[in-house]
Amino acid sequence: MSTKLFSPYVPRPVTLVEKTQLSDFVTRFTFEQDNGKPLAHKPGQFVNLSIYGIGEAPFSISSPPRRTNITFEIAVRRIGAVTGALHALEPGAKVGIRGPYGSSFPVMKFVGKDVLIVAGGLGYIPLRSLLFYQLRHRDEFGRLILMVGTRDPKERIFVDEIADLAKSGDVEVMETVDMPDSTWKGNVGVITTLLPKADLDPGNTFVAMVGPPIMYRFVIAECRKKGIASEQIFVSLERKMKCGLGKCGHCQINELNTCIDGPVFCYTDIEAYQEAI
Amino acid sequence: MTTYTVYKEQLPGLFEKWSRKYALYVPSRLREGFYDLVPWKKDLEIAWDYDVAYNSAKRFVMPPQEALVSFDRRTYEAAAVFEAPKQILFGVHPYDVKALNQLDQLMEGGSPDQNYIRRREATVVMAFEPLTVSASAFWASVGAASVAHGFDLYWTKIGPAAFTVEVGSARGEDLLGMNGPLLASTAGDKEGARRAKARILTKARKNGLRYNWEETPRLLSKCWDSPLWRRYSQMCLACGSCNLVCPTCYCFDIREEADDLLEKGVRFRVWDGCMLESFAKVAGNHNFRPKAQDRYRHRYFRKGKYIYDKIGELGCVGCGRCVRACTAGIANPLKVFNELWEETIHEY
Repeated sequence: MSTKLFSPYVPRPVTLVEKTQLSDFVTRFTFEQDNGKPLAHKPGQFVNLSIYGIGEAPFSISSPPRRTNITFEIAVRRIGAVTGALHALEPGAKVGIRGPYGSSFPVMKFVGKDVLIVAGGLGYIPLRSLLFYQLRHRDEFGRLILMVGTRDPKERIFVDEIADLAKSGDVEVMETVDMPDSTWKGNVGVITTLLPKADLDPGNTFVAMVGPPIMYRFVIAECRKKGIASEQIFVSLERKMKCGLGKCGHCQINELNTCIDGPVFCYTDIEAYQEAI
Repeated sequence: MTTYTVYKEQLPGLFEKWSRKYALYVPSRLREGFYDLVPWKKDLEIAWDYDVAYNSAKRFVMPPQEALVSFDRRTYEAAAVFEAPKQILFGVHPYDVKALNQLDQLMEGGSPDQNYIRRREATVVMAFEPLTVSASAFWASVGAASVAHGFDLYWTKIGPAAFTVEVGSARGEDLLGMNGPLLASTAGDKEGARRAKARILTKARKNGLRYNWEETPRLLSKCWDSPLWRRYSQMCLACGSCNLVCPTCYCFDIREEADDLLEKGVRFRVWDGCMLESFAKVAGNHNFRPKAQDRYRHRYFRKGKYIYDKIGELGCVGCGRCVRACTAGIANPLKVFNELWEETIHEY
């Protein structure tokens, strides 16, 4: 009979060290692990964040893996109870976390290849972890192409960072908004409209995409039109994750548990699941 | 397997001894045709012939609300909470033992759920061969008429005042022997038990799947777009009653409460149900199963395919509780699976 005392439900404390507003509703939070260790996550993974007395919710990790640095970042839209309470915190405050949990983008597969990163809405937040990991090892990858789609210019996040990436020449950036205002001079239209404009080498390009649920089927269709095979397409899917352990049943996509089988899936592995895309 | 013969007159003494060390639950009639496992007390009449307990046994190993973590909002310290009362469930029918065994596999696999494991380890299961079959039950046709493990003792009534008791664990044998030496069953007693099992199996087989239950996952894989899902689910009240009474439904939500000073609190799990409208809804109100049809189909796929693909058993043990609990009369795995079978029979 087992007498192990470990409970996977117990969070550990981390301390908020920095808070940066990214748009009206989105803020970046930098935390430091109280245990003095790096988070040791992989790009695409998430943490379950607790604000005691309010609740727990899953958030994608936005920073790249860091070998010695004990900080990590998430970026969060204020939309419910936990995210509301999180936005009210100031540096020095503590929260609880569990994780990192879930699958990650297979960066080793991307080595030597072109990588197209498709970020719809808040999708840039988790993809940033992948992108900055690749930038740290820039020589090991081919072209890095970043497509960013936002509903309207006011909702754009990480604006300066993305502008700097474009200037650096390390990343080819394409951006669009659905509903332009008078300040917007760039592309107009949903993110799908960027794909026909891109010159890609389909046999040599891997795709990583994150966006709102509606986005996937259209972007995948465009990728397939370009001749990119299903096994070169990776998506990260949102579902209602509660336990993070594959037990509570909330995040199921047919029989898959998004929290342990995902959130990052190769499109080949989910194509047959009716509830996936 | 060791088998003893025990007489009815020995039971009050045993129950009395057990109840000093364990919370002891026994089947009892609450009103005509309505039974449940209830705390034993002296002179309580045991409903030997109960057809089905209206509550399943899952509540004993995974209570409707169960503390997981205690926390301090000021220091952000948190600690695991484990509660595992010593309890004996006397008179559990084999299909419910099978459901417990299934929960064991699902909660112990992957990240072992220590809260569940501890409760289960503190729970003694005394199985009992049914004497009556509920009108809505179909357990004999889904491979749940018998269990080879998961019980500490297995009782079979072989006469008006006699039982055979198969030993499933040393703990069970010790409990049985608490009132003195045990009497090994004779060949005649064992034959009596075999006949009793055969008798109930014949009764139970009158209601069942029209095909081999192992075909269910294959059947379902052809039926995602069946009109049946809409036909039934359009009456669904999304009340979650089927989830509540199901012995194998274990989906849960995690919530918490802080004290009135907002200093300390407890995080707990509560039963949740995939038939409830908000089950797959995320922040921002996007619902991944917005329609009753999506949720209804998901539940049957979970019972008939997803669990099978994981552990090689149906996620339905045929107890028929959901059939009785459903106000709209649409929760009925037997009817659903049989109708899907009829729909697709030409493809075989």
